[in-house]
Amino acid sequence: MKINRRKLLSLMGISPVVLAGVPTFADPAKKRGARASVDSGKIEVLNPRGFPPAIQLIPMAPRVASLDGKTVYLVSDGFEGADRFLNQIAVWFSKNMPSVKTIYRLKAGGLAGDDPKLWAEIKANGAAMIMAYGH
Amino acid sequence: MTVEKLGIPTAPIVTIAFEQLAKTNAAQRGMPHERICFVPHPMTNKSDAEMYQVLLGNDPVTGKPFMKEVIDALTVPLTAEEKATGETRPSTGPATFSDTPENLQRFFADNNMTDFQPIILPTDDKVEAMLKGTSHSPDEIVGKMSAAHGAFPEWSYNVRQVAINAVMAGAQPEFFPAILAIASTGQPALFSSTSSFARMAVVNGPFRDKIKMNYGIGALGPFNDANATIGRAWTILTKNLAGAGLPGMTYMGTTGTNFNYNNMCCAETEDKLPDGWQPLHVRHGFKPTDSTVTIFTGWSLTNVCYFGLPYHEMINHWLTHYFSTNNASVTLVLDPTVAADVKRHGYDSPDAFREYLVKNSKTPAWLYWQRRDKEMEQAKQGVEPYASYLKMGPDADIPVTRFEPRRFPGMPADAPLPNTIEMFVMGGETNTYWLGGDFRYTLTTSIDKWA
Repeated sequence: MKINRRKLLSLMGISPVVLAGVPTFADPAKKRGARASVDSGKIEVLNPRGFPPAIQLIPMAPRVASLDGKTVYLVSDGFEGADRFLNQIAVWFSKNMPSVKTIYRLKAGGLAGDDPKLWAEIKANGAAMIMAYGH
Repeated sequence: MTVEKLGIPTAPIVTIAFEQLAKTNAAQRGMPHERICFVPHPMTNKSDAEMYQVLLGNDPVTGKPFMKEVIDALTVPLTAEEKATGETRPSTGPATFSDTPENLQRFFADNNMTDFQPIILPTDDKVEAMLKGTSHSPDEIVGKMSAAHGAFPEWSYNVRQVAINAVMAGAQPEFFPAILAIASTGQPALFSSTSSFARMAVVNGPFRDKIKMNYGIGALGPFNDANATIGRAWTILTKNLAGAGLPGMTYMGTTGTNFNYNNMCCAETEDKLPDGWQPLHVRHGFKPTDSTVTIFTGWSLTNVCYFGLPYHEMINHWLTHYFSTNNASVTLVLDPTVAADVKRHGYDSPDAFREYLVKNSKTPAWLYWQRRDKEMEQAKQGVEPYASYLKMGPDADIPVTRFEPRRFPGMPADAPLPNTIEMFVMGGETNTYWLGGDFRYTLTTSIDKWA
């Protein structure tokens, strides 16, 4: 099935215009150019949607100018095969960017779990992180 | 994203099957431009050499060399959009929609607000009538729900919004307290997982008879409006009150499950419980006069009838050979005739029967050794009991149960150990059938509170 991201974002209450807050969930009558009032053959029904939470935009971390000589953490979220894939990334760095030091870690708590201890380690010792992955 | 917040540039890698999910999730969490890099799907079955070839190939979304994407994600300076701060509140549209009934049916379905069966259109008068089914204020917040806890943000909803969804499902106002009780738990009917979770809702107490629920012949079938519409409402409200159930984004079950249509909503046959057996809700801390709904989470049920053995023994053998390899939670749905047979063989309570099953069920050898490399090494070195288990051969049943009470991932450390075998009694006594499945008891909550 081809996914129409714009439509699906709208269904979730998220504006495809990068969360600009533009309502995209149009009244069906207005969409067809009809009046929204209740006239012949038309009825008015209530919107069944709940309240999505406000979204706080989070600025991304400043990027490093170069990875040369830096330490990059390769972090698995525990999905099967992520460890082997990240190991191949380590191999790629050793062949193509040997000045980059890679450190592999398995994140605790699975996909959604937090691992403050690991984050502190990366903050203290790393310049960047590569994380893998969905199934 | 957590690491980005700490100031460390991050390149998350996701397989392409999860493109929409990953991008939407990033946007909902406040980082709509997160630099996600994509690889083909699936990756789990690839060899190391094949994985390396993926690195040498292109990102299937951008078409650019994959490793260049990864390195650019970490090194290319941020754009103004990527540095943006502030707050945005997503819109879910206007308070009302106006059109012909036919067009509105199509509109609700096209916008994934239904289960794709015709709905009762939620006009103001129908919703007002539904609200008469509770003493609670229409504006009272009922709860919060996420399509998958930890992965998606929680939406909130009030009594009126639950009522709108209850109307859509075809529920009667007198059913509404049960629907509010379910909504108040924050448990989504459509829990987003690739594994296609199913749910089950079991009602106990006087409320069952007050709304004439079916707990006799065909209770799990399409034969009763309360059973049918309370369960249906759970799915519809999950979509509308939590933003859940969007395939590819907030729903990822690879096959899906038909159980999601009404979540096996039924009631326990309390008047046919064997002497001494307490109803499900009483075993979970409620009084017999309380009305409750109990939620289960799982995947599948098997309908079993076998006459060669007493039922407690048959169920024990079924547990041993019940090959749900990654799950060791079981819910049994016993027809009253089966429960009576179990009682006749000396099990004076569900707890006593559970203890028998935990003590006597075993694990097939192939399954036992599947993920026990350390024990296999010890077995080969003669360490007991593993050495004896190994000598039993590959077709033996190892005398180790899979159903000891144990902690599940994500449970609070101080929570009591939950039972891995749960049961209730339900059925019309037309034959000695029972159901067993990989459902886990999740919680029991009060319906009376929402009357």
